[in-house]
Amino acid sequence: MARGEVQLRGITKSFGAVDVIKGVDLNIAPGELVVFVGPSGCGKSTLLRLISGLEMPTGGSLHIGGRDVTLTHPAKRGIAMVFQSYALYPHMSVAENMGFGLKIAGVPKAEIQAKVAAAAEILQLTHLLDRKPRALSGGQRQRVAIGRCIVRQPEVFLFDEPLSNLDAALRGQMRVEIARLHAKLDATMVYVTHDQVEAMTLASKIVVLNAGKIEQIGAPIELYRNPANLFVAGFIGSPSMNFMKGKVVATDEAHVAVRLAAGTLRLPRRNAATAPGSSVTVGIRPEHFSIGEPDSDDIAFFEGEVELVERLGGETLAHLRVPALAEEGLTIVKLTGDAPLRIGSRLRIGVRLSHAHLFDADGRAVGTPSAKIAVAA
Amino acid sequence: MYENKTTGYLYIAPFLLGLATFTLFPFLSSFLLSFSDYQLQDPVAQANFTGLTNYREMAADATFHNSLWVTFLYVFVTVPLKLAFALFIAFVLNFKLRGIGFFRTAYYVPSILGGSVAIAVLWRYVFAGDGLINQVSIWLGGEPLNWLGEPGYALFTIVLLRLWQFGSAMVVFLAGLQNIPTDLYEAATIDGASKWRIFFTITLPLLTPVIFFNFIMQIVQAFQEFNGPYIITGGGPLKSTYLLPLMIYEEAFKYFNVGYASALSWALFVIIAIFTVIAFTSAKYWVFYGSERGDKK
Amino acid sequence: MSATDFSATPATPATPRRDVAWMGRFNASLRYGVLLLVGLIMLYPLLWMVAASFKPNHEIFGSIGLWPQEPTLDGVISGWRTGTEYSFATYLFNTFAFIIPKVVLTVISSVLVAYGFARFNMPGKRIWFAAMIGTILLPKSVLLIPQYLMFRELGWLDTYLPLYVPCAFATEGFFVFMIVQFLRGFPPDMEEAAVIDGCNSLQVLWHVVVPVIMPAVISVALFQFMWSMNDFLYPLIYLSSVEKYPVALALKMAIDVTEATAWNQVLAMSTIALVPSLVVFFLAQRYFVDGITSGSVKG
Repeated sequence: MARGEVQLRGITKSFGAVDVIKGVDLNIAPGELVVFVGPSGCGKSTLLRLISGLEMPTGGSLHIGGRDVTLTHPAKRGIAMVFQSYALYPHMSVAENMGFGLKIAGVPKAEIQAKVAAAAEILQLTHLLDRKPRALSGGQRQRVAIGRCIVRQPEVFLFDEPLSNLDAALRGQMRVEIARLHAKLDATMVYVTHDQVEAMTLASKIVVLNAGKIEQIGAPIELYRNPANLFVAGFIGSPSMNFMKGKVVATDEAHVAVRLAAGTLRLPRRNAATAPGSSVTVGIRPEHFSIGEPDSDDIAFFEGEVELVERLGGETLAHLRVPALAEEGLTIVKLTGDAPLRIGSRLRIGVRLSHAHLFDADGRAVGTPSAKIAVAA
Repeated sequence: MYENKTTGYLYIAPFLLGLATFTLFPFLSSFLLSFSDYQLQDPVAQANFTGLTNYREMAADATFHNSLWVTFLYVFVTVPLKLAFALFIAFVLNFKLRGIGFFRTAYYVPSILGGSVAIAVLWRYVFAGDGLINQVSIWLGGEPLNWLGEPGYALFTIVLLRLWQFGSAMVVFLAGLQNIPTDLYEAATIDGASKWRIFFTITLPLLTPVIFFNFIMQIVQAFQEFNGPYIITGGGPLKSTYLLPLMIYEEAFKYFNVGYASALSWALFVIIAIFTVIAFTSAKYWVFYGSERGDKK
Repeated sequence: MSATDFSATPATPATPRRDVAWMGRFNASLRYGVLLLVGLIMLYPLLWMVAASFKPNHEIFGSIGLWPQEPTLDGVISGWRTGTEYSFATYLFNTFAFIIPKVVLTVISSVLVAYGFARFNMPGKRIWFAAMIGTILLPKSVLLIPQYLMFRELGWLDTYLPLYVPCAFATEGFFVFMIVQFLRGFPPDMEEAAVIDGCNSLQVLWHVVVPVIMPAVISVALFQFMWSMNDFLYPLIYLSSVEKYPVALALKMAIDVTEATAWNQVLAMSTIALVPSLVVFFLAQRYFVDGITSGSVKG
């Protein structure tokens, strides 16, 4: 097995009577940047801490680079970690912070200096090496925290919500820097965040966690296009996918007819799993609605009344009451540009049926929308 | 790492050893000694079990009754006065005034020094017949008093010595006051509350944990006052300042009645225990713990 | 009432109301008045004591003023000699001979135990922590006699051992509590980073925790120093030879042997006895305030 490969086998973790991680199997290939996302309390940070060795699993095994490290001390796992609070030692200079691990390991001073200097070079920290952490800006502290990891030359970098303490502008900048660093170091990275944008832009693979279990693993765009279940469908994408409850009324070779609140939707059929009469949920992303489309067979049209408009400049979110789709609740529609909408006005929206997602009574995706269709904004 | 149970116990091992050797063992020994006629000069093996004799003697001992009364008087005059005064000064100081640091230091110095023999000695001279207090009172046109010679006044001087040390309680109050978020005051002002109302509905409730802390610490310390009466008045005149700790010391180390002294010390322990238990059980009715840190304690 | 409060805040530019401005000034002067008066009453006895050390005896009886009219060093010189067989130098040396080990042992044991309590989750922790709080509330006199007998059996009477050996076992619960409260204010991230950097728990404590809790450690050292300087009862029962007396005992003895009229000598001795505490206090006063508040307000 290769350096930088991580394997989790049936990992569980309980704190007292509370099961936080309920059996996780995961393979991370060398050089991948895997992002754990999920709502707060889903166990994503715990999972990361289990990989780091700061927590010991209740059950299961963990391999890094082919070694069984389930019970290994954190320092001997070949990992390095960037903490949310950076966790820099306040009484040590930047250079001492970065070299502390090597000092504890008894590495000769000259070698520590050389390694720190090399890492500082990569992160453009050379001029700050003698400063104390409190004399650094948020972004600089972040870089020192990463530098501390680089010095250790780990097989796997672990990031625990590293950007959440930075302001929005800096967060964007650091995100790009981490992506660049990943490309440069070609190291395995595991990254925890609750921020979708970070997940979508950084990840080579996203792991969606919910209540201590993996909901889906896949490339970012794959999760967006083919969410495996209602949870992932609702979690990935912003604003969230619109869900409409319905019943299958008929199926034929090519279509599934779903009866919604007041109207029937004929969706392209991809497999035969849904029998007539079964309850389903139809999901449509806000950005897949559009206005002003010409009539066409593969586009469904609805009438709705505008109840609320949120203008973000580059796009406009319209909250519509669409009786055909849902008896209660509003349907959110994302339109490009500054659409001239008035509250109370009526709007005709269209959706390409191949963009609709269908979920069965248990919330599992039934078939997937065709991957061939380009994702329209 | 922090889940390792053995390591945790290794770290608190010194405390556990000390607890057993220097606290629990003496604590239980003094309980046993309180049922004996043991005299300090004898080998420990010569102690005889005498049942409740010491406690019966205590019940009939006028000196003990006097000490008990004087101790209660001392504690229940000093503690409320000291807390009220400390709170008042903290409140006066908790304002955007120049020189707060200076005043805080000036008021704190007596707390640091107040327990020392030197200050007790000074107190004797301040309250002596020709001492500072009488000189000041003559200067103001008053009568000199026999502070240390009259039973009523003598207790008053050692009460004053404790009140003089209000600084430590005040510093705690001041920190508590400064911990109250200003937006609460602003919100109450916008709601139209008057200053007195703000004090009684916001400041005081939010300060109750600190009041509680100070109250417990002051009660426990006041019940154990020794240096003041020992050095300033020697317990007199007419045993008017013969506080229980002083009586325990003299019974044990002056009269060598270790058995009786142990019984006295257990009486003191039970009294303090009763007051702390009352304080802790009543705390849930009047001490306000912020909801976000409700897990504390 | 509320209108008054509003116009007093700078956020409202509105028309200045004269009565309000006047009230504000009156309020401030009242506060200063109270503070100055209380401060004077508080500090006057101390200043009087220092001043009296430099006055001839007859002047102490005669005036309440501070400044000596006929300044003299007689009181200070005879005070330093103490009128006993040793001078103050001996007693100061004796004091430090047991206070320094006492402070060092207290700091080490309190830090270790506080670290154990604040960071490790061992079974039974709650009970032991409660026991520690209990030792803070337990009156010392209930332990005094058996401890005395115990040290007598060990042959430790008239040595400094009974004064400082118990401190090696974190017997001062208040200090442990103080450090625990201080540590709770810090998330354990830094310590976890140190674990990943390869530290064992003792290395984490030494390289990361101790530097971070240094203010609390200094507070503990200072408080223990002050309290031990003031401590009288324990030296009184354990020490019997004058050559081993600390300042507190020596002062009491010196006063008993000095004739009642030598006021300047007695007050000079008291002044000298307070000098170490005062120097330490003024060098490090912020640690006292921080220390005493960290044990109470955060809890």
